[in-house]
Amino acid sequence: MALNVKVGLIGVFDMLKFKGMSKVREKAIQAAPAKDIRAEFAINNNAKRLHPDYQELVVSRIEAHPGAHAKTFVFRRADGKPAAWFRAGQYISLKLKIGDSFVTRPYSICSSPKDTLDGTVSVTVQSNPKGFVADYLLENLKAGDRVLASDGQGQFYYEDLRDAKHVVALAGGSGITPFLSMARAIRDGIEDFELTILYGCRTEEAILFRDELNAIAAACGKVKVAYVLSDEEKEGYAHGFLTAELIQKYLTPDCSVFICGPEAMYRFLCGEIEKLGLPRRLVRREMMGVTKKVWEQPGYPQDAKGKTFRVTVRRCGEERVIDASADEPILVAIERAGIAAPSRCRSGECGWCRSKLVSGEIFAPEENEGRRYSDIVHGYIHPCSTFALSDLTIEVPGEYLG
Amino acid sequence: MKKYDVVIAGAGNAGLSAAIQMALAGKKTLLIEQHNLPGGCASSFRRGRFEIEPSLHELCDLGPADNPGDVRTIFDAYGVKVDWIKVPDCFRVISTYSDGTPMDVTMPSGVQPFIDQMEVYVPGSRAKMTELFDLFEEVLDGISYITASAGHADSNVLKAKYPNMLRTGAYPTQKVFDALKLPKKCQDILAVYWSYLGVDMEHLAFIHYAAMVHKYVSRSAYIPKHTSHEISTAMTERFRELGGEIWFNCRAEQFLFDGDRLCGVKTSMGDVACDYALANINPDILYGKMIPKELIPEREKKLSAARDGRFGARMFTAYFCLDCPAEALGIKDYSIFLPKSSDSAKEYRDIMGGMATNDYSIFLCYNIANPDISPEGTCICSFTTFGSPVDWNGLSDKDYVKFKNDVARKFLKSLKDKAGIDLAGHIEEVAVATPWTFARYLGTPEGAVYGHETADWDGMMARMMMLSTDYPVKGLRPIGAAGPRGDGYSAAYICGQLVAKLALKDLAEGGKQ
Repeated sequence: MALNVKVGLIGVFDMLKFKGMSKVREKAIQAAPAKDIRAEFAINNNAKRLHPDYQELVVSRIEAHPGAHAKTFVFRRADGKPAAWFRAGQYISLKLKIGDSFVTRPYSICSSPKDTLDGTVSVTVQSNPKGFVADYLLENLKAGDRVLASDGQGQFYYEDLRDAKHVVALAGGSGITPFLSMARAIRDGIEDFELTILYGCRTEEAILFRDELNAIAAACGKVKVAYVLSDEEKEGYAHGFLTAELIQKYLTPDCSVFICGPEAMYRFLCGEIEKLGLPRRLVRREMMGVTKKVWEQPGYPQDAKGKTFRVTVRRCGEERVIDASADEPILVAIERAGIAAPSRCRSGECGWCRSKLVSGEIFAPEENEGRRYSDIVHGYIHPCSTFALSDLTIEVPGEYLG
Repeated sequence: MKKYDVVIAGAGNAGLSAAIQMALAGKKTLLIEQHNLPGGCASSFRRGRFEIEPSLHELCDLGPADNPGDVRTIFDAYGVKVDWIKVPDCFRVISTYSDGTPMDVTMPSGVQPFIDQMEVYVPGSRAKMTELFDLFEEVLDGISYITASAGHADSNVLKAKYPNMLRTGAYPTQKVFDALKLPKKCQDILAVYWSYLGVDMEHLAFIHYAAMVHKYVSRSAYIPKHTSHEISTAMTERFRELGGEIWFNCRAEQFLFDGDRLCGVKTSMGDVACDYALANINPDILYGKMIPKELIPEREKKLSAARDGRFGARMFTAYFCLDCPAEALGIKDYSIFLPKSSDSAKEYRDIMGGMATNDYSIFLCYNIANPDISPEGTCICSFTTFGSPVDWNGLSDKDYVKFKNDVARKFLKSLKDKAGIDLAGHIEEVAVATPWTFARYLGTPEGAVYGHETADWDGMMARMMMLSTDYPVKGLRPIGAAGPRGDGYSAAYICGQLVAKLALKDLAEGGKQ
């Protein structure tokens, strides 16, 4: 080869230097003191504090909202540390043992992030007689009881790199809670944006946190609240629904729209927002769970409705065979069987329950499709928003429960 | 207790590679991963209608099917299939030459086009650039030979076939450039790639630099069509096909020993027994808190002390999903490097000084190489810079979002000022990942993605030469970005295979390392 590169004057010494690399390295190693290896790092501890595997919470106080058939549970960390910091609008996922079932439920945090500094984090639970968890919590959860919870989760928060400086919040019923957290955060100087809340309720009595919302609006120029009652006409309240026409009145030239409410209202609002022709980037929707009537979803094979299938669930070397109704997400069957599989958003979005479909046929509603491209290709599912169409074998992940 | 031949702790790039190698060899293998996704850095995340690549800019060691690099060779041997896309150009860099004049150059891939384009920017550079690429090629071939010989290279073969590698390899890149009398402007342009290894040109061994740059230029860079999660999922599924078992959301807590020999792993989902374990875990964490204290050799304590916590790059990346096509914003390049200067040593010092002095970023628009990465009429871009512990050690939770968003704003402004590209008014989704984020998902020290700095005495080649000396605990070997091959996706895949082969040899010899 014609090439003859030397770095030093004499190439042979360069070669020796190459050969001597391991000697030089060993010398550097031997010159160092034999002290204990450092395996703790501030950055890692910060990450762990902000995003713990779970937090064990103790019910510290309960506030009743009789008119709305709801209660606010104020939690403290069992270990005495501050509750994990979160972004106003996020939810925590409670991990609960109810009878033989292991279930999770996402609840928007209604307290201010600032309250975590005093140790607390709060959620408001509204009665839902058809559900499995809400009424159980309302009837059974007492001060001093312990529950496991995630850290703050989800993308439903104000993001100044993305959102307009003015946010019009469309809230329905208990969907007020993330906006209450945002209003409190603005009041506390944690967040800095203009928030106009349009709060739709059936009756005046059903309005949650009315006094506090009014107090914040009175004290803080950045927060405004307007109530819209659908089932009664009362002085001081608008009557009707949160229609496009009504929403339009509150929009400013540069504003984002955030939506959070129960399923029926959420679907209605999404239709109204469509009419306003806003660019997608200006509309943020909180997740609303998975439909209770999967057979009404486009593409659902009707002959599966009402059937029960056998699901073989593998988890970290263990295997169980359980029954699963075609009408419920697979996750519900797993939970009913008492298998502690992870889940958080229960809407198909967060992917925390991501599991391997080893065999069998499933239905995943398009409106909850939050899977990664390659997961769809390689047969991964989000059991929280996936329905069995045949007997199945799935592998679910482990869970951190302390 | 469940019993396996081999347990691999961590399904990062090296863990996945090692797992497949073990399963191919017929070993009953369990792969455990603390997250619910495989891949570590090689992953993706969803925001709204977008799926976002978290880390991979370009894979340098894949190469085309007819001129495969090490990674393609490994994937072919494994039977892992990924839909690859070639990245059009090497890079564009907007900066300042060391003589103070402005630099805005775009370098194509392919050795001849690269040299030709350099001649346009630096007239008269052709002969020296040709010489440099000849040297690169020799170095690359030499490294392949040394890797293949797994620590037992024949020095006569080295002297006969790779003399220039031997003469230059041990020196810092800057010294070799100077010895070659490479025109300063060429050096300024070539310096750009230093950041992909996280070590500046005065401390980065030439052998490491040469291998990487030559791979990028001669074989082009590649990316997977559906984010790096596609690679990790394809590897996971291949591992399953070969009979491997994988437990997600399961963390290795301690390695268990019978005397001085590994016999199992304590995990968050229970204990498992095994003959051998590979840990896709930074060796400081592995030796520092996951094995019994009495088994830690004095030398490994010294090794850690000698490294003195100098970790390679801790990343900061802001991802922007935009509601308009790239063309509408005037974006034409896949990657634009935006260093303040071409003095890599100064850039590195400024980066380590924290965001107050850091003015270094790499801007990427994924759609330029991969138009289908996002829905029609949209595009995805990112900024990457380095984080310094100075900023991220003592930050409070309360100030965290404001601080990271301010950094993102700083680099948005820098892009607008330097390249005339303004993303404002089009941001539909955004995510900002900091060293905290990487620490959270990877568990690496300080969120470092590159392991210990491959600088000076602790360079890639020196580590390779001492592969059989470092970390001698019986039945347990570390693998990964902090391993002997140094950092980056390619190095991790290679390291996983290489160390798995060494472990197989240990097992064949009765399990003694």
